[in-house]
Amino acid sequence: MPLSKDQYAAFEDVVGPENISAEPAILYSYSWRSGLYAGVEKFTPRFEAVVLPQSTEEVQAIVRLCNKFKLQFKASSTGWGPYNDAAGPGVIRIDLRRMNRIIEINEKNMYAVVEPYVIGAQLQAELMKRGLNCNMCGAGSNCSALPIAAHQGIGHMSQSASYGERNQLALEWVTPDGEIIRLGSLGSSDEWFCGDGPGPSLRGLVRGNVVPLGGLGVYTKAATKIYHWSGPPIFPVEGISPHYSAGKIPHNFSIGFYSFPSMDKLDEAQQKVGESEIALELMGFNAAMAAANIATSNEEEVKLFREFSQYVQGPCFMIIIAGNSDRDFEYKTKVLSRIINETGGKAIPKLLDDPVVAAGCLWRWLRSTGSIREVFRVSGCFGGEVGGTDCFRLMADYIYKTGQMKGDLIKRGLVYDDGTSPFTQSFEHGHFGHGELLIRYMPNPITFKVLTTEFLVQANETAIRDHYGVPGHVFGDAAHDMYGPHCSSYHLWLRRIKKAFDPQGASEATHYITVKE
Amino acid sequence: MLDLQQLATIAGKENLIQEPNILKQYSQDCSFVNPVRPRMVIKLHTAEQVQQIVKTARATDTPLIPVSSGCPHSRGDTVPAVGGAIIVDLSEMKKIIHVDRKNRVAMFEPGVTFAELIEKVKKNGLRLNMPLLPRQTKSVVGSLLEREPVTMPKYHWDIADPLACTEIILGTGELFRTGAAAGSGSIEEQWAAGGAQKEAAGPSAASWYRLIQGSQGTMGIVTWASARCEIVPALEEPFWIASSQLEKLLEMTHWLIRLRLVNECFMLNNTCLKMILQSAEGGTGAAIGNALPPWILFFNIAGYEYFPEERVAGQIQDMQEIAQRTGLAPLKDLCGIKADKFLRIVQQTSANPYWKLRCKGGFQDIFFLTIFDNLATQMETMYRTVNSAGYPVSDLSIYLQPVVQGANCHCEFTLFYNPDVEEEQERIRRLSGDAVRNLLDQRAFFSRPYGENARLILNRDAATVNALKKVKNIVDPDWIMNPGKLCF
Amino acid sequence: MTLAYYRQDMETCCRCSACKFIPLERVTGYEYVAICPSIARYNFHAYSGGGRLGMGVALLEGDLDYSDKLVEIIYNCQMCGGCDVSCKYAMDMDVLEPLNAIRIECVSRGKTLPALDRLITKLRHGGTMLPPAPSARKSWSDGLNLEDYTRQKVDLIYHAGCRIGQDPAMWKIARYSVLLLRKAGLEPGIAPGSELCCGGRAYEMGYQDDFLRQARVVMKRIEQSGAKTLVTGCAECYHAFKVLYDKFNLRGNLKVLHTSEIFADLISSGRLQPQQEVSLKITYHDPCHLGRLGEPYTHWQGKQLPGHIRLFDPPREFRRGTKGVYEPPRRVLKSIPGIQLVEMDRRKEYAWCCGAGGGVKESNPAFAEWTALQRLQEAGTTGADAIVTACPGCEKNLKDALKKPADQTRIYDLSELLARSVLKEEIDAAQ
Repeated sequence: MPLSKDQYAAFEDVVGPENISAEPAILYSYSWRSGLYAGVEKFTPRFEAVVLPQSTEEVQAIVRLCNKFKLQFKASSTGWGPYNDAAGPGVIRIDLRRMNRIIEINEKNMYAVVEPYVIGAQLQAELMKRGLNCNMCGAGSNCSALPIAAHQGIGHMSQSASYGERNQLALEWVTPDGEIIRLGSLGSSDEWFCGDGPGPSLRGLVRGNVVPLGGLGVYTKAATKIYHWSGPPIFPVEGISPHYSAGKIPHNFSIGFYSFPSMDKLDEAQQKVGESEIALELMGFNAAMAAANIATSNEEEVKLFREFSQYVQGPCFMIIIAGNSDRDFEYKTKVLSRIINETGGKAIPKLLDDPVVAAGCLWRWLRSTGSIREVFRVSGCFGGEVGGTDCFRLMADYIYKTGQMKGDLIKRGLVYDDGTSPFTQSFEHGHFGHGELLIRYMPNPITFKVLTTEFLVQANETAIRDHYGVPGHVFGDAAHDMYGPHCSSYHLWLRRIKKAFDPQGASEATHYITVKE
Repeated sequence: MLDLQQLATIAGKENLIQEPNILKQYSQDCSFVNPVRPRMVIKLHTAEQVQQIVKTARATDTPLIPVSSGCPHSRGDTVPAVGGAIIVDLSEMKKIIHVDRKNRVAMFEPGVTFAELIEKVKKNGLRLNMPLLPRQTKSVVGSLLEREPVTMPKYHWDIADPLACTEIILGTGELFRTGAAAGSGSIEEQWAAGGAQKEAAGPSAASWYRLIQGSQGTMGIVTWASARCEIVPALEEPFWIASSQLEKLLEMTHWLIRLRLVNECFMLNNTCLKMILQSAEGGTGAAIGNALPPWILFFNIAGYEYFPEERVAGQIQDMQEIAQRTGLAPLKDLCGIKADKFLRIVQQTSANPYWKLRCKGGFQDIFFLTIFDNLATQMETMYRTVNSAGYPVSDLSIYLQPVVQGANCHCEFTLFYNPDVEEEQERIRRLSGDAVRNLLDQRAFFSRPYGENARLILNRDAATVNALKKVKNIVDPDWIMNPGKLCF
Repeated sequence: MTLAYYRQDMETCCRCSACKFIPLERVTGYEYVAICPSIARYNFHAYSGGGRLGMGVALLEGDLDYSDKLVEIIYNCQMCGGCDVSCKYAMDMDVLEPLNAIRIECVSRGKTLPALDRLITKLRHGGTMLPPAPSARKSWSDGLNLEDYTRQKVDLIYHAGCRIGQDPAMWKIARYSVLLLRKAGLEPGIAPGSELCCGGRAYEMGYQDDFLRQARVVMKRIEQSGAKTLVTGCAECYHAFKVLYDKFNLRGNLKVLHTSEIFADLISSGRLQPQQEVSLKITYHDPCHLGRLGEPYTHWQGKQLPGHIRLFDPPREFRRGTKGVYEPPRRVLKSIPGIQLVEMDRRKEYAWCCGAGGGVKESNPAFAEWTALQRLQEAGTTGADAIVTACPGCEKNLKDALKKPADQTRIYDLSELLARSVLKEEIDAAQ
């Protein structure tokens, strides 16, 4: 039901007439379906209006109005994934685009504070000028730099720079019922450096290894840990789009791409690399992803994939080494060489032989600009499987198992044939791991149905039956209800959190969990 | 009405303790909280027993206070705040359940102490990221749940580290496992699949372990925990750097941690170091006297499996470059104290008696989180506060522990006093309250509020208190878990 | 091409928002990361390239109609192509072409903006969209004795363009340009007092039929002149002749050059020798129509192959802005002694638009001004004393945004600076 005049006026009073719209043309642009799991419907259900607040106070006022008018709200930063969509009638979309400031970069104490619409590229670029860096969301530097915006917040640099759940410090949170809670040192001392306490940490409420995907209020500012950067303050990119590269790899940096005879050997290698603490990035990309990253067109990608595949002996990883000094670089390089030898790793010929290509890959994997190529260029759409965050081998085994199911989909002509290799990654120097299976397909109802009813079902059954934990793709009531009984009934506790903090159900929670009463 | 017979059936009659002398031990500690005698102490040995006790307590509205460490306690969190409470003593749950070298994790029960765990994990080539000189009776689970700062900031990615998963009996009586341990499957099934209860976050969209940490037993009773471990180095080279200028040491520390050059890394003032040395076996603290410079930075450079000598040599050179830039000189020997010897000291637990008790028999800690930028002002504030109370600044022990890979700094002041002198006790009690108040005004973040000062700290953040109460209502709806602590 | 032709391109949009930012590899700081003036100003997703593609699909599905609001969103866009370049860094799909197709649909349904209709009326009746010069008796070419290609055969045509031709303040650009050509031994022909509008802007505003009508008339005259080469100093005209006329197979064998291209060649070959020092620290603003939109058109006819990957038969080469005219203007400027060139953050294929294009200057001058002010602010951060550009449209819009008359001298056309270095004596003598 459309907003009444009074309701519209109330929201307009908060954000100003230029920053609210219920015009169909505007709403439809938001409703265009995401490329993630694109299916039958081209547009998500119509919602009531979109508002563009500029401050936490405006967000709070909007949330309170939603509670008052018994409407729901769904907030988004860059709005890429389907979880950003407002579920339908009765929902206000909060587009946080105007909240785009870097509040603080504290070099001495290694944290940065951002609003939701600062994108990763902006934050990283500012940090690099100061000899610092940040974990970047693996989906791309076009995503929010807020450590609690993206689905999981894992990135290419997670080997040395962890991920969102671990990097988050203090947080400013507008709760679903319109309170503002400032976590940790922010609430007590007006400082951003700590998100925990006093006493128990409310960080435990606001996310796990996945975030609530818009279902638990609005995160309006957050502090994130930042890390040392030994590279140039501005990466020396040359060329014209799409053919960017650095002329050469920066001093004390190197990049390698290796395949291994088996997962056992790759696992051994990643463990050794982790325990040696030598890698800046360690990503278990496959040949298809490497080809997609380097290629500037689908034609070229097909060609490169064929070429690289010939040389792949088994699962692969890409590794970037950055030395903090000449000595450090020399040491790390020597250790890597030894590990590769010991584990039977082989460099993929022609992938990184050309230093210009190698430098380009290095930068793209540091800046995370290749993900759109790797995932979306083929068809504008992808589905697949996102694992959890646990021991590397466990996560790798899970994702390789689901990869086998992809083989069947390929045989049936339902998805793009780029092989069945998933990608894995290690973070915090091998303390954790993660895996994802990318399934690219041209959107069509048959594939969508098979993916959502067969493939995901099988993947879920595998995870539960074979004890692979709760994968990252688990969100929404149905999925939680399926997993919860096998996992300490966490779904019941999650519902209790939702109920306690969102008594009116104002925070639209299709992708989180609802109270279900 | 509490049925003793029922309790005896659950725990075994021999594990119900009501002897006054023993109850007295639990009714007070080294802190200034009011002594309140518990009704009894129950020693439990299994999660099932804990669950039954919690359900019984719910049914009879009986407060429960979980305790896993042995005496002496010092923060007031294990002293009942209300009458009629039962102490649930888990110190005899001493199983080290599982050590996994590949995944660098260990799982253990609440009664396991640091010494016990250190020895066990070492056999697997692992080590813990430990707090500084915990007392011998300190429970590792207890320490993890308290978010005690640890001495290796490089391996402290998150304030919650090194805690991984937990099994907890919540105040509802339900058993819940946090993180990867939640499932699917039993712990054994997870091991068979290759799991190791390593991932702390989750399951799914909440990180339950964070709500349990820092809760001082007000959410439930943890029956085991897993903790991430690090590798035992093949080679270690520790160093001292001493200076009268703290800001230089902070600069040095910042770079050592930022470039990931060091394992153990912390700063002490001379008083603190002296106390530690006095307490260590064969310690020479007394002999050193006033020879120690005002501030001492201690750090350790380590090498592992691959070319450890080369790694260490290279990192030492990198460290020396930083030292030169900062105008500092690293030493292997500080006033006759060898860095290697000190490293061995700090990689173990405190000797008995606990090092903080040696000086005068009593102590009061005032600790908080801060950042380097704010330390100077906070130091000055503390000096002024102790001066006003007539407490000699030279007697003040200061321990600065960078945590969260340098994003935070744990600052710990220790005031020593004779607990047998009432006047002195009272002075320290008042001084402690004044210090907390004054430091709060200087942006100190008391993330772990204990004892008398807890309410003062928590009341600064009403929104957090409201939220915590909502959480409490979820996991402990009858408020039986350690009532009166924190904001509950 | 109709909007339906671009359905698959539009439906390939994955909502990544890359179209809102410069290519992310190029981001070097917090500031100056936006590439799209429209969404930078209006903030709703609808105002981005991706947002408009979604609207395009909705139009095809019949879920949206050509409402006033939709028209306002579609036309509050300079058609600068920034979204197109940024998207195609990673994707194989067109963005700008579908946006143009939506405009063509708007026009065909009579759903346009009055200001733009007025422009087209002028074009239909007078052969130009701009008001005539204040004095019809004077022209920029007075005293230059140039050949009239409408009456005589010529090899080389210099096309001034409406913006220069109708604005006496801009005449010096044309005068300097032809004098420079002459200095190099080239004698261009012109159409004194009767030069026709290239019609390019009409196309970008969606008036395809009017564009084609105009283009045919223009090309007929050019063909009759026998000219093999057309040189222009207007980026919009350059884009029209080089790209649009080629797109509709109207250009024939006519070689089209921008003055910066021909000057760069002449300098390399020694036929022009910048010798006089011009002491100035400058920054160069890449005009959209010369830079990313100046890339040659690639003809393609074929179909998308069935399957789960967008491949085409024959293979489809996407225009990604790679081959735009970026270096020749820079080579020209760097060849001038005393010139110190400093670059803005947003440049070449990811330059920020001046704000004038796509009909925005006429239909929403406030937005055009806002966009220009963003660019001026960015130029200010370089420490440059002046902005140099190679398009009178850019120059005018940037100058219009400046409030103080004294500031007017800070924006130059490339030909002015080159002329100062090559023709100093002639200029001094004329003055």
